[in-house]
Amino acid sequence: MSKESQRQRAEKAAAALRERERRERRRQILTVAGVLAAIVLIVGGGFLINSMRDTSEDVAAAAPPTGSQYGVTIGSSSAPHKVVVYEDFLCPICGGLEKGSGSELAALADEGKVQVEYRPIVVLSRMGPYSAESAQVFAVVLDKAGPEVAKEFHDLLFANQPSEGGPFPSMEDLVELAGEAGADGAAVQAAIDNGEGEDWVADANAAADDLGVESTPTVILDGAPFSEGRTIDDLAANLLEAVQ
Amino acid sequence: MKEWLGTAARLVTGGVWIWAALLKLPDPDQSVLAIRAYELLPGDSATPVGHLLPILELVVGLCLVVGLLTRGSAVISGLLFIAFIVGIASVWARGITIDCGCFGGGGYDPDATSKYPWEIARDAALLLASAFLVVQRRTRLALDNLLFPPRDRSDGAPSLDPDPQHSGA
Repeated sequence: MSKESQRQRAEKAAAALRERERRERRRQILTVAGVLAAIVLIVGGGFLINSMRDTSEDVAAAAPPTGSQYGVTIGSSSAPHKVVVYEDFLCPICGGLEKGSGSELAALADEGKVQVEYRPIVVLSRMGPYSAESAQVFAVVLDKAGPEVAKEFHDLLFANQPSEGGPFPSMEDLVELAGEAGADGAAVQAAIDNGEGEDWVADANAAADDLGVESTPTVILDGAPFSEGRTIDDLAANLLEAVQ
Repeated sequence: MKEWLGTAARLVTGGVWIWAALLKLPDPDQSVLAIRAYELLPGDSATPVGHLLPILELVVGLCLVVGLLTRGSAVISGLLFIAFIVGIASVWARGITIDCGCFGGGGYDPDATSKYPWEIARDAALLLASAFLVVQRRTRLALDNLLFPPRDRSDGAPSLDPDPQHSGA
């Protein structure tokens, strides 16, 4: 065999090897691309499915409009914006929302720009009886003294909100606070002793549960969930801006 | 030996991801709340992130467990752990007491401060495991070995578990 043909044969073998390697590389690149495409499809599809399974839009759309029986409503029903807030008198973030938006929303309601309903529910019963007790006294005040005094009591409850870990005001303290808001303390105390307000709280909770309200505060603006903001201060500011 | 260590790292890290994802997947609303509680993301971006994370965790976990695109999966896994460590350290520093929501749940937790160090340690250990998988490309019992047979074996049949000791050029 001549040196020339040996060289040619070696070149051929090298070319064949290169070709095999080129094909293998191509196959591997296509494999990676295929697997990546499948992964993106699965993650993207899962993301969409999760977004559709999120119930907050449905909850907001199905929530009773402002002026329901399980809350206190301020502002005119002809106002262009409607806000519903599900809140727990013990929940600190609800306290933050109230601090950041309570008096401003009241002023905007007076100006006819917004109608707001605050719906107290009990979600923090694991922290003790305060959450349920404050809601019960609120129900009695709403029943005995009307919405204006109830709104005042609502504001006082948040202004005097205890820490989530206690110590908590007693029932007597709550009744005294109701008196401060303008209710007849003795009448409120008598109603509490009678067990009044308990059913209201249970029914209000059942209505929120049936609706699917998962946490407090749940803020609904014009039938859509409102959750715009990094912190609760941001959220309060954004809410005020949205209803200006 | 290192290949087997890689396999163990894959199974542990991937297993934790799958477990975390399965606990979160049933309740997308809750995942959003858990993320919102960190008070880190602007505007309403906690909502899409809360919807994306559980499925991303599941897919990363599955890829790691079966050893599919191991290196890329380990990079994503490591980045996620870095994000979680930053998130937990940040709420700890700001005095916010929340359940980390790592395995479902989330929101206010009065005992959170005592849990943060352990949560950060756990995520740091899993971050190390992920980093090891980025360095150690080949692991035993991995789908990658079937799809991308090691170079010195490209003439032989690809196998799920090539033994590098006995496969020689």
